[in-house]
Amino acid sequence: MSECIVITSGKGGVGKTTTSANLSVSLAMMGHKVAVVDADIGLRNLDVILGLENRIVYDLVHVIEGECRLKQALIRDKRLENLFLLPAAQTRDKSAVNPDQMRKLVEQLKAEFDYVVIDCPAGIEQGFKNSIAGADKAIIVTTPEVSAIRDADRIIGLVEAAELPEPRLIINRFRQKMVDRGDMLNKDDILEILAIPLIGVVPDHEDIIVSANRGAPVAFDDTSVVGEAYRRIARRVSGEADVPFVALQPVGFWENVKRWMGLSAKAGV
Amino acid sequence: MMELINRVFGSRLGSKDDAKARLKLLLVHDQVDLSPAQLDSMKAEIIEVIGRYVEIDRDSVDFKLERSNGEIALVSNVPVRRVVARAV
Repeated sequence: MSECIVITSGKGGVGKTTTSANLSVSLAMMGHKVAVVDADIGLRNLDVILGLENRIVYDLVHVIEGECRLKQALIRDKRLENLFLLPAAQTRDKSAVNPDQMRKLVEQLKAEFDYVVIDCPAGIEQGFKNSIAGADKAIIVTTPEVSAIRDADRIIGLVEAAELPEPRLIINRFRQKMVDRGDMLNKDDILEILAIPLIGVVPDHEDIIVSANRGAPVAFDDTSVVGEAYRRIARRVSGEADVPFVALQPVGFWENVKRWMGLSAKAGV
Repeated sequence: MMELINRVFGSRLGSKDDAKARLKLLLVHDQVDLSPAQLDSMKAEIIEVIGRYVEIDRDSVDFKLERSNGEIALVSNVPVRRVVARAV
C-alpha cells in the first residue's frame, strides 16, 4: 500500500527541503520505490539538494497542464534507481496549480510508487494548501526556536483541520551542548508545547552544509551521524517500532578519528 | 558578592526558560484570539457574576489562560470570603 507524506513547517528555513531529500533517499535505500515532489513552485530547490538540477526537462506544472506525461517529468536518481524527483517549475508561481490537480497528481504517483514525499513551501497559503491536498500523512519540521515552534503550532492546527491524521514532529538543528547549558529548548520542552508524537531529532551539523554543497544528501553517507538520524526517521516512517534515537552528544576527538579511518558512525549511535 | 559567585559558578537561568515562557503565552494568545482588553473585560464580568452569589476577595482574584497538550483552559483562583445568603 502506498502512502503520501507531506513535509511542512510554516516557517521557512527550518529544513523542509533537506528533510524531504534525506527522508526520500533513506526510504529508497531501504528498497522502497520513492517519488519526491517539489511543491515550492517558483522557488525550486529540492533539485539542487539532490544534485539533479542539470537533468530537468519538464516539471510539475508541465505535467498538470498536460504538456508532457508524468513519466517524462520524473527524474531518476543516478545513485538510487528507485528514487525519482518531480521538480517544481521555476518560472511560474503557486497559483499555477490547485488542490484538485495536486490530488489527482498524487493519486497517479501513488499508483506507481510506495512513497510519495511532498516538499511543501513555507507559508500557509496556496502552496501549503496544494501540498497537503493529496497527502495521507504530515511530518512537521521545527527547530528549537520560539518563532519556528510558534509557526509549527499553527501548521499543526491547519493540518488537523484538513483531517490529516496525527501529524508527527522532527526537531531539526538540535544542539546538545546548548541544551546542556540551558540555552536551548530540549526535546521534552518542545513536545510539551506542541503535543504531537516525535519521529526524529536531527543534530545541527556541518555535514548538512557539505552535502548541500555537493548535491549529495547526507543520508548517503553511512559514516555521518546526521545521515544516521535521517535513516532512522525513515525506518520509523516505514512502520518499524522502537528505533532508538541517535546519540546527540557533540562529536568528540576519538569519534572524529574513527570517522577519518572510515569506521561507521553507526557503532557509536 | 552573591552575584559574583553566581556568575563564576554559572548558576544563571538559561535563556531556554525565557523561550518556553514566551512561547506558552504566545500560543495561548494565537489560539484564543482575544485582545488583552477583551480578556480584562471578561475577567471583570465573571467577577461581577460570582460576586452576586458569594462575597469574594476581589484583589486576590487570579485569572490565567493556560495551555497543556494543545488544550486551552481558563484557570482561575477566586478566594471566597463568605457565602452571601441572599435570595437570588
